[in-house]
Amino acid sequence: MEVSRKRPQEYYEEKRADGGDGKSRSVIKPEALPGSVGPSSLLIINKAGGLIYNRKFTAGLNDLSSNDLLIMAGTFHGVHEISRSIAPAPALSHPSTTTTAGTTIQQNPTTLRASGIEVLESANFRLQCFQTLTRTKFLLLTEPQQPNVDTILRRIYELYADFVMKNPFQTLEMPIRCEKFDRAVDGFVRVRG
Amino acid sequence: MVVYSFYIFDRHTECIYTRRWNQRPASTSKSVRPQSGASLTSNGDAIPGARKALSREDDAKLIFGTIFSLRNMVKRLGGEDDVFISYRTGDYKLHYYETPTRLKFVMLTDTKTNNLRIVLQQIWANLYVEFVVKNPLSPVEHPGGVGVANELFEMGLDSFITQVFPS
Repeated sequence: MEVSRKRPQEYYEEKRADGGDGKSRSVIKPEALPGSVGPSSLLIINKAGGLIYNRKFTAGLNDLSSNDLLIMAGTFHGVHEISRSIAPAPALSHPSTTTTAGTTIQQNPTTLRASGIEVLESANFRLQCFQTLTRTKFLLLTEPQQPNVDTILRRIYELYADFVMKNPFQTLEMPIRCEKFDRAVDGFVRVRG
Repeated sequence: MVVYSFYIFDRHTECIYTRRWNQRPASTSKSVRPQSGASLTSNGDAIPGARKALSREDDAKLIFGTIFSLRNMVKRLGGEDDVFISYRTGDYKLHYYETPTRLKFVMLTDTKTNNLRIVLQQIWANLYVEFVVKNPLSPVEHPGGVGVANELFEMGLDSFITQVFPS
């Protein structure tokens, strides 16, 4: 619990140290390479498997209708759960925890829980999934060779925490309609891409 | 590099061959995991507990469901010529290869293993075709796995896996 309480604070400090929101940051550090293709789209799935956010950055992949995207989000949510239950071997921490069951409580809960799909690779694209502790899933579709997708997703999670979670008009688990978040994500992805 | 298990599914969605390596004892982690999960997160950790009920066949069915859904998802997202290659979770990595005849080869390994698409393709070309398809005693289809698990195929698979995964 302490970790999750500390994090937003750190993010906030870091953001202030850089001086400004995501948009002005993109002006400060214009390291975009015009030729390279960045992430093609971002999806956010709530803990019930519903698609609550969808943003396209580049026209890399097939255009899907919003209905198809909803189906895809639901399917992925289900497969993500199944993929946790077909884990063939216990997680690395388990052999030690079997002997000393009392110490397991002190450990970070994320190391104990079997994680679902983190990366899915296909011939044409790569899908990176980041699940928060509250089971919201961030899906980023990128090129197969895109580096540091992990960091990009963490940063998007920070933006989500800053602009969506701190928005007093946002209802939890409902579709995200927040212009500032749109702009921040766009700006960040354009710089990183 | 560790290999956990290997499955072949035929075009009728049936699991025709299963092989597991490095089997763990039946109940090492199961008693601990639900307890620790329950004390930390009260909601939604039912999956590790539900794992007790799963048998070998259930595992194969779940794996088939997973690859079937993901294959369709990949085709829808990346176009008809796109192919699903692998996915990775925190615990394992699943590799996938599908032949033009819709025979599906699946291998579960640890997370550090590189792409095994070529390995699966070689299992198909050098072992499955040689020892199962070309076997005059083996039927054309393999309902219930009849004719797949013959001695030559299993020996070939074992020696090939020990070559690829030197321990």
